Amino acid sequence: MSSIGTGYDLSVQTFSPAGRVFQIEYAQKAVDNSSTVIALRGKDGVVFAAENTIASKLHEAKTTRRVATIDRHIGLAYCGFVTDGRSVANEARSYATRFRDLYGHPMPVSKLNDELSGYFHMLTLYGAARPCGCSVLLGAYDAAKGPQMYMIEPSGVSWGYYGCALGKNKQPAHAEIEKLKLSEMTCKELVKEAARIIYATHDESKDKDFELELAWVCADSNGQFEHVPEELHKEAESFAQTSMEEDSDEEDDSDEDED
Amino acid sequence: MFRNQYDNDVVTWSPQGRIYQIEYAMEAVKQGSATVGVKNKTHAVLVAVKRKPSELSSHRRKVFDIDTHVCMSISGLTSDARSLARFLRSECTSSKWAFDEPLPVGRLVSALGEKLQRCTQFWSRRPFGVGLLLAGYDASGPHIYEVQPSANYFDCKSMAIGARSQSARTYLERQMTAIADSDRAGLIRHALLALRECLPSEAELTSENVTVAIVGKDEPCNILRDEAVQPYLDTLENDMDTDA
Amino acid sequence: MDGLVDRSNPDWVSAEHKTGTTIMAVEFADGVVIGADSRTTTGAYVANRVTDKLTKLTDYIYCCRSGSAADTQAIADIVRYYLELHSVEIDEEPRVGVAASIFREFCYNNRDQLTAGIICAGFDEHKGGQVYSIPLGGLVVRQPFAIGGSGSTFLYGHCDSTFKEGMAKDECLTFVRNALALAMSRDGSSGGVIRTAVITKDGVERDVVLGDALPTFYQG
Repeated sequence: MSSIGTGYDLSVQTFSPAGRVFQIEYAQKAVDNSSTVIALRGKDGVVFAAENTIASKLHEAKTTRRVATIDRHIGLAYCGFVTDGRSVANEARSYATRFRDLYGHPMPVSKLNDELSGYFHMLTLYGAARPCGCSVLLGAYDAAKGPQMYMIEPSGVSWGYYGCALGKNKQPAHAEIEKLKLSEMTCKELVKEAARIIYATHDESKDKDFELELAWVCADSNGQFEHVPEELHKEAESFAQTSMEEDSDEEDDSDEDED
Repeated sequence: MFRNQYDNDVVTWSPQGRIYQIEYAMEAVKQGSATVGVKNKTHAVLVAVKRKPSELSSHRRKVFDIDTHVCMSISGLTSDARSLARFLRSECTSSKWAFDEPLPVGRLVSALGEKLQRCTQFWSRRPFGVGLLLAGYDASGPHIYEVQPSANYFDCKSMAIGARSQSARTYLERQMTAIADSDRAGLIRHALLALRECLPSEAELTSENVTVAIVGKDEPCNILRDEAVQPYLDTLENDMDTDA
Repeated sequence: MDGLVDRSNPDWVSAEHKTGTTIMAVEFADGVVIGADSRTTTGAYVANRVTDKLTKLTDYIYCCRSGSAADTQAIADIVRYYLELHSVEIDEEPRVGVAASIFREFCYNNRDQLTAGIICAGFDEHKGGQVYSIPLGGLVVRQPFAIGGSGSTFLYGHCDSTFKEGMAKDECLTFVRNALALAMSRDGSSGGVIRTAVITKDGVERDVVLGDALPTFYQG
């Protein structure tokens, strides 16, 4: 890498001669090393799925969660440093609360995205802080505006997305997402697909054991953000596992015929 | 020891996307003497071995009471732990004042996590160099939480941190179901057996160097030192046949 | 009595400008009707007989001001600024509730220094026509109709007996004009002309009833 040893990569306050800020790119690395998080925007809501690695057998189930509620109607998933993700979630919660207090109605997720990406960007400017080691996915649904989804990168850049994958296995996950007709699918269908993608991209031989986390905000959840109901979670997980088995039986990608 | 350019402070990312200063702070935990936390269906127990810096000094404190329903044991820098204990106590007190009921342990831990995270992202303070085990009992039952200098925390079935604690964790993994099903006395015994795994070969658990803390259903946080520990140490001598 | 008045120092020299006032707003199916008298006083002196107390905040939200003219003008200015910023930030026409909520923020936080009784009313896509009353302490409450200002004290009984749920626009206008005329003839600090505005999804229609055309009632 042309960055190492040049001395241009030690501070966010330093540009390289080519006009890059390496510290921001390194923070992005923390996201790229992380286990997978995906979000899918269907016709009636947004689905989040995370592959949460189990660091020790001594841990209780669900101790590491990577999808957080920001306000009743907004969900946020983070990928990268879990600790940074939690602090960003707290920051987002304070924005959403302040908005509610001042204006008396729920914060539009587009506005939260603006403010939160401003926060990410602020952390790339000064020597007293480091860029966030996480990317976040924001999702919300309401009947008038339909489903909305955004992703913010450590640099502070953010865009709206139909589907997005983050982390170590984002390339294969992305390929799987592109096969879906997202805007025609309901969240009930997408939950299964999301589970399948997490299972399919997980490498049994290399990656640690994991717990699947599934959450959504959609018409079925009344526009409220929540973890998907237990029953549906199990259904999605067994769907994912059976399609894994079918895959390994057939030895080719016949994903399309499965549903 | 090898130095690199990226390990000077907490606001510098390494090219691989790591923060060395956080990782070094994690090392401080391994310098401290071991502590073990276990729980069954009604109780959570912490045990710890104390060290003394010299023959003329007393043993260094390893267990702190936080509230009637939470206590904490530490491994790493004791002075850092003291200031965290202070923070935890005031969180518990103010929550009790505001809501008139004990602060759920999970919420206490996430408040602590938020505080610790700031030191890992902003230049003003170094990260805390201490690992914590919190034992608590609340409406959802007994809990053991592990809190790391990285600001990460975990809800655990049982856990051991500190010097040579890997062997204790191996013991805990092997005895997982036995511990979950044990009674109060059995639970303490398992904790002490796990703790014993962490000792250097010449050392022993004695009533001077062991602290035991218990909290659980109908039992407010109870920290046992000196003679009070002896009866539990005695149980280690008896019936060694039950587990091996 | 005359002997007690200090003629060298009349009260209108030092007294604060007050919109000692009657203001009113009513919700109806398609929007709101708001109205106010037009008198501004400095003590006993009528400083302005044709004041406009119906102040525009956005194209679809107005407020009726009562209390200190200076205070209410300043707050209305601030709220207008906030709403403009807010609508740019969320790329939507602001909701009436948002305007009321921002009034609350200032009226409540500065309640010890302010004399401001405000009725905030308008139309939005979410809840249609809405009337919010923000009286002296900084309370916000949505009401099917609201009255305010010194003149309103003479009106409660009249309004309670006259108001009906589901009135049409013209009925609301008559209700507002009659009530204001009644208050203006009994309250010394209310008078002048009656200004009204109707706010619906199509915008604002303003109107004025001049002093010689006011509805009349028992004149004894």
